[in-house]
Amino acid sequence: MTRSGPGIFYDGKTSARHTVQVELDGAGVLVRAARGDLLARWPYGDLEHLSAHDGMLRLGRVDNPVLERLEIHDPELAAAIDDLAATVDRTGASERRGRTRVVAWTVAAVASFVLVGIFGVPAIADRLTPYVPTAVERKFGEAADAQVRAMLDTDRKGEAFECGRGEAGKEGRAALTRLAGRLEAAAFLSVPITLTVLRKPEANAFALPGGHVYVFEGLIDRAQTGDEVAGVIAHEIGHVANRDSTRSVIQAAGLSFLFGTVLGDFVGGGAVVIASKALLQNSYSREVERRADAYAVELMTRLGGDTRALGAILLRIDGTNHPGMKLLLDHPDTKDRVAAINMAPPTKTADLLNPLEWAALKRICAGP
Amino acid sequence: MLDAVGPSPGAPAVASIAAAPAPPTPPVPPAVGAATFRFFGNEEPYWRLMIRGAVLLIVTLGIYRFWLATDQRRFLWANTEIAGDALEYAGTARELLIGFLVAVAVLVPLYAVLSLAALGSDVVGQISGLLALVLLALFGPFAIFRARRYRLTRTIFRGVRLHQTGSAWLYSVYSILGWAVTLATFGLAYPWAQAALERYKMRHTFYGDVGGRFVGSGTRLFLRGIGLWLLILGPLLASILYAMASIDGTVVAEAVERGGNNMLGSIESAMPNFSLALMALVIAFFWSVIAAGLLYPAFQAMMLRWWTSGLRFGDMAATSRVRTGQMYGLYLRFVGYSLLFGLAAAIIGVIVGTLVPLSALDEEKFAEIDTWTQIVGVVAGLIGYVVIMLGYSTIYQVTVKLRLWRLSFETAELTGLEALNRVNAAGVPGSAFGEGLADALDIGGL
Repeated sequence: MTRSGPGIFYDGKTSARHTVQVELDGAGVLVRAARGDLLARWPYGDLEHLSAHDGMLRLGRVDNPVLERLEIHDPELAAAIDDLAATVDRTGASERRGRTRVVAWTVAAVASFVLVGIFGVPAIADRLTPYVPTAVERKFGEAADAQVRAMLDTDRKGEAFECGRGEAGKEGRAALTRLAGRLEAAAFLSVPITLTVLRKPEANAFALPGGHVYVFEGLIDRAQTGDEVAGVIAHEIGHVANRDSTRSVIQAAGLSFLFGTVLGDFVGGGAVVIASKALLQNSYSREVERRADAYAVELMTRLGGDTRALGAILLRIDGTNHPGMKLLLDHPDTKDRVAAINMAPPTKTADLLNPLEWAALKRICAGP
Repeated sequence: MLDAVGPSPGAPAVASIAAAPAPPTPPVPPAVGAATFRFFGNEEPYWRLMIRGAVLLIVTLGIYRFWLATDQRRFLWANTEIAGDALEYAGTARELLIGFLVAVAVLVPLYAVLSLAALGSDVVGQISGLLALVLLALFGPFAIFRARRYRLTRTIFRGVRLHQTGSAWLYSVYSILGWAVTLATFGLAYPWAQAALERYKMRHTFYGDVGGRFVGSGTRLFLRGIGLWLLILGPLLASILYAMASIDGTVVAEAVERGGNNMLGSIESAMPNFSLALMALVIAFFWSVIAAGLLYPAFQAMMLRWWTSGLRFGDMAATSRVRTGQMYGLYLRFVGYSLLFGLAAAIIGVIVGTLVPLSALDEEKFAEIDTWTQIVGVVAGLIGYVVIMLGYSTIYQVTVKLRLWRLSFETAELTGLEALNRVNAAGVPGSAFGEGLADALDIGGL
């Protein structure tokens, strides 16, 4: 069966346009110049369907180092080639199949990225954290300490931002140092704890890398027993012992890479990236808080203190802080935490602070 | 028409001629006259392409962008005809994806090192922030130059590839210098900076073995554009000068130090022109922003005319007769579509708002809803936001980018087309690293 028709041929060596006669035989396409000499012979299996507009069929040869092109404007000839060559498909069906495959694979890739984000990143951060030297952590802690103080000290109190430096708070400072010393001794940490009480009315406490622990004045005000303050400090020591700050930095970096560099690069994708990061980071921190709670319970048991004191003060504080969205709260549902804390048997032997010390601690932020 | 009469059937002449090297068949002369550029693409298939692409972008969280960009370019290139022959885009999505992965492999360690250095509190930490900025500033033009090379080498016309030589690092340095000078002169140096950059780019651009040139004059552009510049920046600069002349900085500093309730009053009594100068600054600033928005199409038309008319390839020369009115029509159409889309989105938002009890937005009530409903709510809100953003982007791509492409070609003319027949193939395909880098750095949209 032979069909033939006109075509335009480019030999890929010069830009000259050649008007040719295209012949279709059983094996492939023959391109004949006007004078009849054979310019090209392409088997059907080697034909490459190239990108062109709707009025033209543009053909090349697969793996051709020279950019030979054959352009066919005759619709009947184009249809004939379409029928004869498996690689040429003008209906677009093979293109659609290819695109469906691409979309399926990329959706699978996205799903696996999300799974890696949920499970892989925390696991990798867990593995990598022990390799960060404590000297490095301490250096970061020093830098963070200065920045955090500057950030929180909104009234520019400077030195006086820290409680217990003046005469009035000296006794409280001493009581606190003794308490921290007992907790530290029972904890066997690789870094010394530096405990600071900050003159802020919120009931809160946090830890920075390198052993810096901060307690706000508001927390001491709302505490009813010394064991409650000790429980909070033990929880923060838990963060230091577990190197949670360093781990969260590694996790944040891993998340940033996944959702940020690789995914989300489309208009409006920024919001998706931020939302995913917030959700995932929140789920990481719930686990972190649970572990710090368990550490505090263990530490308090070793010292013979009231293991349920931490739960008591958490419940009391929880009522005052703004409820907000469960999903985005950095700390898991307080009731869940208290339930976990109360699962440990109460082993209290004695108050960790005697009444004199406790009274002094309550006065730590009195005066300058 | 110029086909030589073919050999009569059965003539043995074919065999003897074939034995010797075949003489080149006489080429068909290119079309002469006004219609040297044609664009066949209609908007409907492009709308379908972009809308389907936007949906797939959401589903694949952006990974589909390489395929979408390739489809876009195939559509644009294939429907563009120069002197009777259509362009061909030979790039593939896989090349773009690999280029992106290579760029990520280069950037991620760099980011990691810079972030770690920034965490330190000593000198290295403070410098690293500056270093990061400088590196990004250098990488940007580098990526754009390399990306241009990729696109040029994937453009085939009449079986001959375009290509680009030149150093991307050098271009990057030139580009940064150009922008620094432009900023330092409040934009006055822009025409000359652009002319220098275009000259560098075109000097290293080739169609086969025919080199390109750029002959557009920076001075010409300056003279054409100075009116626009005065209209937009003139009042702002004047008010800044006035403010500098009439406001004494030390008086303001003293009043701020003293503080108190009547700070403004005390400044006023010391410098009576203070509030006037301040008001002039604010008004001039708003004027600049509004004028810039209104005059942007005029600026684009001017740049298109100047750039197109400066292009040369061997003996071929281009000119542009685009009219400013055409550019305004294009952007007005975009604004119209955007407003319609915004209206539709607002109507849908109102419907959803009446269905969903608005009390859910109260934080305390929200906390009482169980976690799963919270998640569904947040995801729905997120999807709505993304749909709106992608909607506007799609409208922009079709009404502005496509029309701009068509307008640029249809208002351009080529002379010296005879040279088009004598080009020899040259050049090798460039890697897609620049494209990947530009994508990873979020510059130069696909």
